[in-house]
Amino acid sequence: MRADFEERERVSGRESTALLRRALRYMAPFRARFLVKLGLVILSLLPFLLLPWPVKIVIDHVIEANPIGKTVTPYPFFVEPLLAPLAGASPETILLWTVVAQAVLLLLIGAIGAGANENDRMDAYLAGGQDIATRTENQANAGFSLAGGLLGYFDFRWTIRLTQDLNHHYRSRLFERIHALPMTAFDDERIGDAVYRVMYDTPSITETCYRLLLTPIAAPLNVGIVAGMIALVYGAHPLLALCGLAFIPIVFAATLPFTGLVRRNAERARKAGANTTSSSEEGLANILAVQSLGGEDRERRRFDDDSWAGFSTFRELLRIGIFATLAGAVPGVLLGGFVFLYVTDLVIEGTLSPGDFAVLFTYFLLIVGSCVDLGALWIRLQESSIGLHRVFFLMDLPGEKDHPGAKPLPPVREGLRIENVSLDYPDGTCALRDVSLEASVGRVTALVGPAGAGKTSLAYLIPRFLSPTAGRVRLDGTDLEELALESLRAQISFVFQETVLFDDTVEGNIRLGRPDASEVEVQRAAVLAGADEFIQRLPEGYRTRLGRSGGKLSVGQKQRLSIARALVRDAPILILDEPTSALDSDTEQRLVAALREASKTRLVLVIAHRLSTVRAADQICFLQEGRILERGSHDELMALEGGAYRRFVELQTRGAA
Amino acid sequence: MNAEAAVDEASESLSSLGAGGAGDRLHFRLVLRILLRCLRLLVPVRGHVIRLVVGFSAVAVTLAPIGFLLFDLFWTRALQGEPLTVIEAGLLGFDPALTVHVDALGAELRHAVALRSIALGVGAGLLSMPLFLGLWYYQVWILQKINQALRLDLVDRLQSLSLRFHADSRVGDAIYRLYQDSAMVTQLIDVLVLTPLGAVARYVFSLGLVFCFDPWLAVVLAALWPPALVLGNLLSRRMRVRFRAAREANSELTSTIQETLAGIKVLKAYGAEGRAQARFEESSRGAFTRAFEARSLLAIFAMEIFWLAGFAMLASTAWAALETRTGAPLFAQKMLASLGFTAWNLGLFNSLKMNFGAGTDQVRRLFSTWGRVQDISIGLDRVFELLDLEPDVRDAPDAVPLEAVHGSVAFFDVSFRYRSERAALESVSFEARVGTITAIVGPTGAGKSTLMALLLRLFDPETGRIEIDGIDLRRLTLESLRKKVAIALQENLLFGTTVRENIRYAVPNASDAAVREAARVACAQEFIEKLPQGYDTLLGERGTKLSSGQRQRLSIARAVLKDAPILVLDEPTASLDAETEMQVLGNLVEWGRGRAIFLITHRLSTIRRAGQILYLANGRVVEIGSHVELVAREDSAYRRLVELETAPTGIRGSR
Repeated sequence: MRADFEERERVSGRESTALLRRALRYMAPFRARFLVKLGLVILSLLPFLLLPWPVKIVIDHVIEANPIGKTVTPYPFFVEPLLAPLAGASPETILLWTVVAQAVLLLLIGAIGAGANENDRMDAYLAGGQDIATRTENQANAGFSLAGGLLGYFDFRWTIRLTQDLNHHYRSRLFERIHALPMTAFDDERIGDAVYRVMYDTPSITETCYRLLLTPIAAPLNVGIVAGMIALVYGAHPLLALCGLAFIPIVFAATLPFTGLVRRNAERARKAGANTTSSSEEGLANILAVQSLGGEDRERRRFDDDSWAGFSTFRELLRIGIFATLAGAVPGVLLGGFVFLYVTDLVIEGTLSPGDFAVLFTYFLLIVGSCVDLGALWIRLQESSIGLHRVFFLMDLPGEKDHPGAKPLPPVREGLRIENVSLDYPDGTCALRDVSLEASVGRVTALVGPAGAGKTSLAYLIPRFLSPTAGRVRLDGTDLEELALESLRAQISFVFQETVLFDDTVEGNIRLGRPDASEVEVQRAAVLAGADEFIQRLPEGYRTRLGRSGGKLSVGQKQRLSIARALVRDAPILILDEPTSALDSDTEQRLVAALREASKTRLVLVIAHRLSTVRAADQICFLQEGRILERGSHDELMALEGGAYRRFVELQTRGAA
Repeated sequence: MNAEAAVDEASESLSSLGAGGAGDRLHFRLVLRILLRCLRLLVPVRGHVIRLVVGFSAVAVTLAPIGFLLFDLFWTRALQGEPLTVIEAGLLGFDPALTVHVDALGAELRHAVALRSIALGVGAGLLSMPLFLGLWYYQVWILQKINQALRLDLVDRLQSLSLRFHADSRVGDAIYRLYQDSAMVTQLIDVLVLTPLGAVARYVFSLGLVFCFDPWLAVVLAALWPPALVLGNLLSRRMRVRFRAAREANSELTSTIQETLAGIKVLKAYGAEGRAQARFEESSRGAFTRAFEARSLLAIFAMEIFWLAGFAMLASTAWAALETRTGAPLFAQKMLASLGFTAWNLGLFNSLKMNFGAGTDQVRRLFSTWGRVQDISIGLDRVFELLDLEPDVRDAPDAVPLEAVHGSVAFFDVSFRYRSERAALESVSFEARVGTITAIVGPTGAGKSTLMALLLRLFDPETGRIEIDGIDLRRLTLESLRKKVAIALQENLLFGTTVRENIRYAVPNASDAAVREAARVACAQEFIEKLPQGYDTLLGERGTKLSSGQRQRLSIARAVLKDAPILVLDEPTASLDAETEMQVLGNLVEWGRGRAIFLITHRLSTIRRAGQILYLANGRVVEIGSHVELVAREDSAYRRLVELETAPTGIRGSR
């Protein structure tokens, strides 16, 4: 049952494709919104076709003062009609209208020309750090638009909402799966790692979806449109359009060889990041131990190593990126140089005007930009696929669930029967061996025995935290495996050996047992548990916030609080694991009395070492090494000559005589 | 300031930590102050930073004029056939007679000019790209170093803060500050040095050049500043408030996740998973909403600045177009004549567009950086909030190390309180000599654990003093003191490492033999050897593969290994059965000769071993003496405790 978070090291190329496909399926509920986004992306591309033309108009008709209609190359079909009214106008008038047109474009799409400094792409990327985790903040809240101005702003808002909703949905599903994992999964595993996955690995999904859905459509579309424009306008020179398209294979050739490398490094980088979170979480959560045991140096060194490892692996990723960039840049620059020369020659010949040069220049910039996007796409996808892998792995771990046909449990009236149960842990250790036990409502049953005898494991069987490897556990005759977990646990109150409290009020912590308990009931449970006294003395009584893990209370106080929590639940089965270990005798006796009271209508199971707690039980089961050796009341067992229980008692009281 | 008020103030500032609140404590000056404070962090890497800046500058300075010349070569010379300037001819290796002192260039020459210019451009590009990338990589490395240093500072501070802080704070918040907030420091070089330097330099260059073309255009370029500044002023504060809210919401989300997972078994036991999920989703939604609000504002700000810049560009381009049409002379024609430029032409027109554009670009860049600086400063402010917390306990300037302990540990009239109402300890006085075992007994919450925390100097007493061998603890160095006190805690906290490493926690260099011996004393040897990998068995997080009794014995072994003269065991036998307890105590008594041992317990069998018993109730020492003495007293609280432990339970007789 123990979960293993250490998934396999390598994700192969085929697997990463499968992961990407799966990510897309998660996107399904958001299909419509994605389509709108795609529409917006396409919409933002179109104005760019318009943008270089005002420049040409200004150059050719205003500066060179050529009258309209007399240019070497004709204008495209969507620009002609706009120019027609200006035929015969003076250069100043033409200029004026061009400026007005550009001003309108500026407001609407945030662009006046096609150079980098004449366009606005809207985004709100905040500064990240030099490691993966801090970068994913931007991914989780990605809002971007290819346009600026009002269109860009609208696009931006649409996008960021879409990103956030997708991430929220995904995160919530992951979180849900995590706490459906069996309890033992977290006994063994790293909480910090889980936190990392929920916070920093989940944004991979939006990254993936955007890149998978938008870029492969937008980028080629962009290139295609621009190349088409070039072919259209400068159809006399087909070489130009071809050169534009030639950038694509160059970019791919440069990036594809690196994909495997990127994947492996991304895996290392994320793992290192999660490690750092884990180790600092452990150190901080146990600060008491660290300080009192003098472990500060050790923790610091551990943190130092883990943290720098995270940074180093991130840098390795960057290195790969640099190589890929250089690999693509060389042929790219050469091709660009060739194009430059070619166009210049055409202008020298007189086939193109200087204004055309401007247009072509900007068009080629657009093409190169889109090609770089495309090339980077595949590599980025590799990175994201690792994040996806980490998330899906966790989601796919078997969680607790009801078996098919599970029934709800009717209120327990008779009792519990454990029949020939054996329990083995996955690593082979045997916790219980052929144990049989009967405990009925209206009686107190105690489990006693040396440490490691299997008492807690036995108790965990009842709420089905663990399932027996052999044998059966029945409540009122029904096998536990046939019951719906929720209804089963609703009838059990469990007090764990190590108390767990939350950063909530005292009242809130007690109410965890039964959220609709009234204040009176809460207080009554606290009185029974012997906790009311100290609660009243707290600064705000029941409304005092406990702080992290109830850090301000003593262990005994925490124990009493968790007992109160169990008592307020009012369930027919009450299981307590070492409830009195930290209590003084007075409090203990009062609790034992309260338990006796409670047992009149309940099945009470107590695990304890202390004689004083155990002695009052109706039935005592003595466990050793996973077996029940003796069973009976205190007096019965004491009467056994050389009995294990008797020896146990004598050891305890001998010290006191 | 009296102790009470000090405690109140401490709790005040602690509880406000991370609460942020609706208001914005920062303003422009403070933002600058935060950034400047971070300069200190650049000091250890200043050599690298200087080299980086020099590198970038060198490349930029070399490329800029080349870029300028190439631009001109294309537009004016190659495309339009104007003769070259002397410099250009020299650069490209043309004979001035053919290229400079002619009226126009022929088609062939133009082609040649284009060819050589392109070659120059391609060459420069291919050379500079690896340089740029290499410098950029260098920058990343430097930034990571700085971030690492800051993280370590934070970890040091977190570790030295007392338990009071940690009881109030949430783990998730500390982690968020440690990673996300401290990462803001990586922006420093960019924000404080590179961007301002680069942007301002480029802007001034552009402004100067534009001025030479036509002063009115320079005025337009300069006129960008007032409205941009007004806008920035209006929005900065709101941006800061939103950024802080976003960070706090995310930090809270991290905390929620961490706490839920840490307490998962209780949630399962009580069927509260649904409620935990609801809380998570609420927290997550909240975080996203805050992030949305913050980023929207940033986007709007950027958009408005762009509109400003855009209109300026339009105006200047139009004006320049008109000038070019008429071929008007340049303003600084005399100056530029030497370079070969005297009047407006197409090349200069494009040059103006480019440089004016670059100028507005710098303004946009600066303001966009300013917008991000608001977020960065909030992140760093949160880091400094933590760094500025004073640890409760520190070494006195003249502290001396504690050498050996021969005499006794003594408390003199010690009082202490956690919160301002309830006193944890009041007027506690006692002495424990080396070679004795002192049991500290009493109801829960009586102050027993607090006593031991004071002995370790996790806090200092409010009144009274604690002495070891006659020296006040406050005059000893913390490190030496804590080396001489070994403690096994009540909550047996183990770590996710091997058994051996857990035992060696405080003494990393201990030999294997020492580890085994410590395990023997704690009666842990047997069960450890039966584990799958013995001493090298890996324990899960929080050490939960073992039963509680086994963990307790590991804790004891850990304390024993330290070989300290003072040993404190807090409920050391609570999880042990009687038989094991006997053995462990027996071993401890044997091992403890020549040491002062404190046992906090209420198990009679354990108490019986002590030579001296301290009975604490409500923070006061109610009784003190040996078992025999105290039992003999008629109405002693201790006697009552013994009676309860040994008598058959009066609640119900046998059935």
